[in-house]
Formats: sequence, C-alpha cells, structure tokens
Amino acid sequence: MNFKEFVKSLSKEGVEGELLKTIFISLLTSFMILGIFYFFRLRDIENFIPKYGFFLFFGILSYALILPSIRQVRAYKEFPCMSGMMIGMTIGMIAGFLPGFFVGATNGMFWGSVFGMAIGIFLGVWNGKCCGVMGVMEGMMAGFMGGLMGAMTAIMMFNDNLKAAGIIVFAISAFIMIGLNFMIFKETRRAERKHKDRELFVSVLSFVLTILTILMIVYGPRSILLQ
Amino acid sequence: MKIRKSTLYLIGIVLLIVIVGFFFLSGESASANLIKENSGGEVQEVVIGMKNYNYYPNTIRVKAGMPVSIALDETVSGCFRDFTIREFGVHEYLRTPQDSVEFTPTKKGSYTFACSMGMGTGTLIVE
Repeated sequence: MNFKEFVKSLSKEGVEGELLKTIFISLLTSFMILGIFYFFRLRDIENFIPKYGFFLFFGILSYALILPSIRQVRAYKEFPCMSGMMIGMTIGMIAGFLPGFFVGATNGMFWGSVFGMAIGIFLGVWNGKCCGVMGVMEGMMAGFMGGLMGAMTAIMMFNDNLKAAGIIVFAISAFIMIGLNFMIFKETRRAERKHKDRELFVSVLSFVLTILTILMIVYGPRSILLQ
Repeated sequence: MKIRKSTLYLIGIVLLIVIVGFFFLSGESASANLIKENSGGEVQEVVIGMKNYNYYPNTIRVKAGMPVSIALDETVSGCFRDFTIREFGVHEYLRTPQDSVEFTPTKKGSYTFACSMGMGTGTLIVE
C-alpha cells in the first residue's frame, strides 16, 4: 500500500474519492461567504484587503485543508488507539495552530490563542474520539498547545517576515494533513465504511468556521497594541 | 476525451485559489515611518513609542557628533523597554518614561536599534 495507490484512490469512488471534492466544496462555500460579506459590508472598511485579506484568505485555505480529514475519519468511525491518537493530535494541533496564527496576527496574543485553542480543542476532541478516551485527551492537549503556539508564533514574527512565515506554516501544515489522509487510507484498507456525510455537512462546517473567523479577525476584540 | 472527476475538482480548487488569491493578496500593506525628533540645546532628544508591536517611529534621523538622548514613552512595554544599539554599545533597560540612554554617534550611516530579543526593531540614521 504505497502513496501511488493513495493518489489513484482520489479519483475512485469511496471515502478517499471524496477528499478533493470536500476541499472544493469547502473553498466554494467559504469564498462565497467572504464575497457576500465583502460586497455588503467589508469593502467599506478602510484598507480592508491590505490589513485582513491575506489572513482571511489563508484562514479559509486552512479549513479547506482540515475538513477532508474530518470527513475521512467520520467515514470509518473507529480506529486502533495509536491511529486514533495520531488523528486527534494532528487535527487538534493543525486546527489550533493555523486559526491561532491568523487571528493572533490581527488581534493579538490573547484572542489569537483563545480562538485557536477553541477551534483546535473542539476539532481535536471530536476526531480523537474515534479511538476513545486516549484520542480525546490527545486531541484536547494538541488543540490547547496548537492554539497557544499559533498565536505566539504570529506575535513573535510581527516585526519580521510575518506573511512569509504564514505561507511556510501553511505549506508545512498542508504536507502534514496530506500525510494524515494517507495514514488513514493505509490503516483502513481492511475496514468498511461506516458513515457517509453529505456535501451539506462540509458546507455547514465551512460556513460556521468562516463566519467565526471573519467576525473574529475583522470585528473581534484586539490587543491594545493592534487598535 | 474523458476527464477524471478528481482532475476536474483539482482544476476547480486551483482556479478558486488563484482567482480569490489574486483579489485578496494583491493589496500592499501601508507602512508609516514618521520621524519624531525633539532637539533641545546641545543634546538631540528622541522619544520613541510603540505601535503595531514595533517601535514608533521606527526610523530616526540624528546628526553625527552631537549627543543623542533616547527615552521610551509609556506605550512601550515588556521586553521592548530593554533598548539596544549594538554598534554604539547601547544596552539599557529603560524602566520608566523618565529614564533615558545617552550616547554620541560618531560615524555617519544606518544602524539598527532593537529590543534585547530583537522582536522590535528600527533604524537610526546618522547624518
């Protein structure tokens, strides 16, 4: 079972065949919401695109990266402890780090870490429970750590190459999430699909996460230094 | 010719990212490098504040051969109060806005000033 077979499975029917579709639906939903917000409200904000465009754009890309894994995990539902812990840790960490980074860069350390931790712990626990308490604990810890680290990294990069760091962090996260998709694919060759989420599930999740991120980045409370 | 479903999705994803990315990433961020320098008598007095997690103003022009006194106002907090200019051997923890560090720049040129951790930076231009 190698990576080539995983790539081939992306064009077939089944769980892995839905991964690219999930990214597409997530991006479409999020960009549509951002577009609607922009034309009705956000374009009136002075310097909106230079100030927030980059961080909102990469925030949305981050969710499009995380949602396929959530759908893949939910499809198989149950995993052995080691795999479940890895799932909880990876999703919790990435889902905490990226939103924490992008919100931290615009709102400061406190709100960046609170938002990152909230998203990271929620998604980490939700996905980690595929193997029971161990996965839940791992997801919770990873979300906690990722949220704090994301916001902290953004603040420490503030006077350095913040945007370049954002792109590098995103690229590394993308590789890690693809690795997770491959790991799940490898671990589930003898397992049967137990659940099928509709496309609406991805749209709703993208909708909620995008709205929360827009509200937080644009209208959220700020550190006194970013006012 | 039959195009694979996954190829279509991949094209869709790339197109979405390129179109929206072009729109949202094309704006350049505005930067302000205002010079605020208060000269009084023989000493060139400079008061530096803090904005957007950096020293503000972060470009300061001073004259060579005349003493410079740098103070940090009340907006500067944390490790940013540990002020350094390596080239002139300046390293002082300016605990309050009344504290200042004095030195005389002798060589013309651009020098970096920073907090001790290097998180806040700026340029001192000696003319």
